[in-house]
Order: sequence, then C-alpha cells, then structure tokens
Amino acid sequence: MPGAARRRVGWTAAALLLLLAVLLSLAVGSRTVPPSEVWDALAHGGTSDDAQVVRSLRVPRTVIGVLVGVALAVAGTVLQGITRNPIAEPGILGISQGASVGVVFAIAFLGVHTLTGYVWYAFAGAGVAAVCIYAVASSGRGGASPVKLALAGAAMNAFLASVISAVLTTNARALDEFRFWDVGSISGRDATIAGQVWPFLLAGLLLVLAMARGLDALALGDDIARGLGHNVALLRATGALGATVLTGAAVAAAGPIAFVGLAVPHIARALVGPAHRLLLPMAALLGPVMLLLADVLGRIVVRPSEVPVAVMAALAGVPFLVVLVRRKAVAAA
Amino acid sequence: MTSVDRGVPSKSPAAVRPAGHTVLRAGRGSSFLVHRRALVVAVVLAALLAAAVVTSLCVGESFVPPAEVVRVLFGLPSPDGLVVGTLRLPRLVTGLLVGVAFGLSGALIQTMARNPLASPDVIGVTHGAGAATVAAMTFGLSSYAVLPYVSVVGGLLAALLVYLLAWRGGLTASRFVLVGIGISVALGSLTRLLVTKGDYLIAQQAKTWLTGSLNGRGYDQAAPLATALLLLLPFLLWAARAQRSAAFDEDTATALGIRLGRVRFGLSVLGVVLASVATGAAGPVDFVALLAPQIARRLTRTPHVPLVCSALTGALIVVVADLLARRLLSPLELPVGVFTALVGAPYLMWLIVRTRSSRSGGTA
Repeated sequence: MPGAARRRVGWTAAALLLLLAVLLSLAVGSRTVPPSEVWDALAHGGTSDDAQVVRSLRVPRTVIGVLVGVALAVAGTVLQGITRNPIAEPGILGISQGASVGVVFAIAFLGVHTLTGYVWYAFAGAGVAAVCIYAVASSGRGGASPVKLALAGAAMNAFLASVISAVLTTNARALDEFRFWDVGSISGRDATIAGQVWPFLLAGLLLVLAMARGLDALALGDDIARGLGHNVALLRATGALGATVLTGAAVAAAGPIAFVGLAVPHIARALVGPAHRLLLPMAALLGPVMLLLADVLGRIVVRPSEVPVAVMAALAGVPFLVVLVRRKAVAAA
Repeated sequence: MTSVDRGVPSKSPAAVRPAGHTVLRAGRGSSFLVHRRALVVAVVLAALLAAAVVTSLCVGESFVPPAEVVRVLFGLPSPDGLVVGTLRLPRLVTGLLVGVAFGLSGALIQTMARNPLASPDVIGVTHGAGAATVAAMTFGLSSYAVLPYVSVVGGLLAALLVYLLAWRGGLTASRFVLVGIGISVALGSLTRLLVTKGDYLIAQQAKTWLTGSLNGRGYDQAAPLATALLLLLPFLLWAARAQRSAAFDEDTATALGIRLGRVRFGLSVLGVVLASVATGAAGPVDFVALLAPQIARRLTRTPHVPLVCSALTGALIVVVADLLARRLLSPLELPVGVFTALVGAPYLMWLIVRTRSSRSGGTA
C-alpha cells in the first residue's frame, strides 16, 4: 500500500526533522558549538564554556521552544477543526492578543509578577477573546467564513492592542516588565518557565486528544456529526477550551507568536491526511520543528544580534496564508 | 425632508434628475448634481467640526475662553496668542488634515472594492507606510521633510504587493482582504523588529508614532500633507464624478462605455496615496478610514460613498478623538490612535455581524 508507506516515511521524516531542529537549536548561536560538544555537555556535564552555554542558555531555550511549538500547532489544528476554517489560528484570531491583555492587566493592576501568576490571567484573556471572536464571526448568515473570522480577528487584535497601549502609556513600570515579554521570543527565558508551563500544556493536550474522533465527525458537517451521536455544541466548547489553554500557556511562556498554528496543521494534513488521531500527533511533532528552525534562523540572519522567533515565524508563515487564500476553496467560502 | 426640499431651489425638470438631487448651476456650461440631503449633512458636519475645533483649542493645560480662541483664529491680538496659536493650533491643523485624508482614502478604497470592510488599515497600506517610515527612522533618517515621502512609497509598495498576491485572473474582495491581513501581520512584525533593534530613543519615537499620535505634531507634518491634498485636488474632483460610475456592475458599465478597470485602478491609487500621506504625518491612526465613509454614508443615505462628507467626518473623528486622548487622563496624553481603535474595532465587528455573507460584496 503506497499510502501507508508514504505515511510511514512522513512520520520518520518528521521525527528526524525534530531531532535535527533540536540539535541545531542547541548548537547554533553567537557561539557555534560542535554537535559532539553538545552531546558531551548534555551527557557528561563538564565545565567548559561551551558546556555552560549549552546547559544554561540553549537547553532551556530549546525546551521552551518545543513546548510552545507543540502548544501552538495543536491549538491551530483544533481551531481549524472546530471552525472548519483553514485560516483559523490563535494569532490571527486575536486569542494570543487576548492572553497578552490578561498578562498586562495582571502586571499593571493586580501586582502579579510571576509566571505562574501570569498563566491564569493569560488563560482568562485568551478565553474571553476566543468567545468574542467566535460569537462575532459565526453570527449572521454565512457562518464563520474565513473572511469574517480573519476580519473579526483583525478587529479584535487592533482593539486589544489599543487597550494594551492605553494601559502601558499610563503605567511605566508595567511597560518595563511587559516589554521584555511582548517581543514573542524564547530567548532569555528562565528554565523554570518550562517547569511551570508543562502541566497546563499536558492538560490541554489530553483534552484535545480525547476529542480527536469528535473533530473528525465535525469535519463532516454539523448535521452528520449530530447524526453520529456527537454533541456538537459540547465538542466545540471542549475544543475551544483546549485550544485556549494551549494558547494561554504558549503566550505566557513566550509571548504572542503567530502563524505557527496556521502553517503546521496544513503541512501535517498533507502528510497524514485529515484524521485527527494522526493529525494531532503529527502537528505536535512539526510545531516544534517550525518554531525551532525559525528561532535558529533568527539567530543567524543578523549576527551577532538576533531576530525574535515571532518575527521569523510570521515571515515564514505569511506565504502559507497567501497560498491558502489563492486556492479557490478559501476565497470562495 | 420636506423642509430640506424647499430649502434648495430647483429649476431643472424633475424627470431628468435622480431622486433627491438638485442641479447647482455656476454660469453656463458648468453644473453640479448635488444630493440635497448630503448637502445638509455636510453643512451640519462642518458646523460640528467648527465647534470641535474651537473646543479643542479652548481645552488644555489651561482653559482659554472661546472668544479669545476665535480672536486668535482671525489673527487678532490676544493674550492667549502663544498658547492657542503656537501650541495648540499646529497640532489641531495636522489632526484635521489627517482626518480629511483618511476619510477620503477610506471612501475611495471602499468604493473601489465595493466593500466597506476594505479599508486602508485592513489591506496593508498603513502597515506598509508604517514599516517604511520606522525603517527610515532606524537607519538614521528622521527629517520630517523626507519621512512623508518614505511612507507614501511604503504604502504604495504594500498595496501593490497585496494586489499582485491577491490577483488570480481577477480580484475578489475576500481574497484581497485576506491577503491584506496576512501582509499586514508580516509588516507589523517587521516593524516591531525594527523598533526592538533600534536605538532606544528612536525606538521610543517610533513606538509612539506607530500608535498614531498627534503629540508634538505641528506644521512640519501639516505642510507636506496640505501640499499633497492640494496637489491631489484635481484628481479628487475627477474621483467625485468617477466614483458614481465605479458603483455600476461590469455589464452596465460596459454598456455605458465606462472603462471600469481604469476607474477602479485610479480610485484605488488615489486612496492609497492619501492613506500613505496621512500615515506619514501622524502614524497609522486606526480605523478612521474605515469608520468615516460608513458614518457619512449612513447620514447622507446616498447610493455611493459621499466624498466631502467622508472627509468632514474623518476630520471630526480625529479632532474629537485627539481631544479625548489629551484630556481624559490628563496630564497623561494617550495616542489618538488608541481612541479611534477602541471605537473603530467594535464597529468593525458589528459590521461583520451585519454583513449577511462575505460573498455579497456590496456595501452593507
């Protein structure tokens, strides 16, 4: 069966790519460390400068990159599934921006200054934004078409950006704390962040994986899904909750990063087809690949300075959006 | 309505006049078809704008009585001449012109796309102008004599890029909007990169500028904008006539001998130039270009987007928003763009809810 063979090649390639991306992320930087040294530093410790750099800077950065990549890619896949909309994505829909607003409020008004503190407000902000976007986009005849979702997201992004701007203009201390986090980067993040974020990530992933079959049913249309015995409203709510938790965790850890959630699900679908039981794990493999490669690229292009991963991801992701939009299916919807 | 009808004399035979219109004749040969309600709305808007202008000049760190403001405006000697004439007036003039330019730009682009959702903010023009201007700033170019041109070039390039990427044997409004949003996001993140990489002071300047602010703006910014508007005036007069024909569908236009493609192209270029020039002066003041034509059209109830009323509405929005931004949290001054976005974004959402289906490309 050529289909099965192709799929096996796809999985192997994805796993190898992830390995390569992790290795590059550990080895490449303002100081390039040879792979053998990287391995030495990880396996045997050591006190050389290279080993120090790898352990104290590159490892946390890579781990956070993997977590954030998984979260964003899976969130994008789920959002595309529950909205049946190929351009749904946490960044475009303004959900990431909602999480940002939550964090800004927490810093400025509630005196929250720790990441575990941020996370809850990030969730709350992301959740409110997600509900608003979906309510706006799906009301009226025609449902949540790509154009309506994208516009509602753009409007939400602009609105929340001006809320953030208003808060930060009036609160200089919050600006100082927020600025460092807002660039959408995984560099300079403390290793403890990974330790704090992973339980939320795991919870989100479990929630989403549990409803993989439901997502498949939704893809057939609301009526058929209902006919198959699924509670469509409950499915959507669970999916949205899962995506919101994942986005909130990712944004709390790395700031808003757009387009990973848009591009990865489409690549994954091309590799393993539309069944979510395969699609979700594949997206979880490829998300970190895209994020880490974008991050590594960002370290190389303007040496010795760095480009934040959010910028690189956006630049890499936009061609995807354009290709998708140029396909008739999206534009006509 | 009846009192309005009586207010304007009409002499030409009713049969050849479109409903609700009056022909104004300025001597032989030159005549204008004027929508009566639009005329009344324009007068009311102008009166409101005058009131907003005077209020804005009165209010600030110190209160200046309206009588003194009017004296200053007419060039009479006044003890408040310095505060009003030197500090507040230049900023206000810039705001007025920016509002006019964004209002006109939105009206033209919405007419061209026959879709209220296509505004310069949405289709990447303001982000293009913004990215180019911030790039120029970070590369050490901070002269206000040159920056407006940079932003016009940036806006035009971004619009061209969106146009080319969305073109596929034709142009649909939805493809245009989606590609525009994508390009906007990419340009926005490039801009953010430039801001974070640049020198601290420049970054600060760029960041304020990017929110769309009138803080510290004056005749340096107003002058090139005013020049641009004057130079574009003949084209605007052309557009005022051409936009009526742009509202026809392809078949009708062909039957009437109108080259629809050329008309639309001309309108959109004009709209893009206006938005870019305005962005160059005050930064991307969000949503004015989207809101102004829509409000104007609802007020006038004309079949097409009214240009003069859009310009007046745009100016009114910017002047009032800047007044609020200056005074609401004084002594802190918020950027005017914050206010226009806080009002404009919910309106855009409402518009999306009201639009029955994205395929019905007509104006909502």
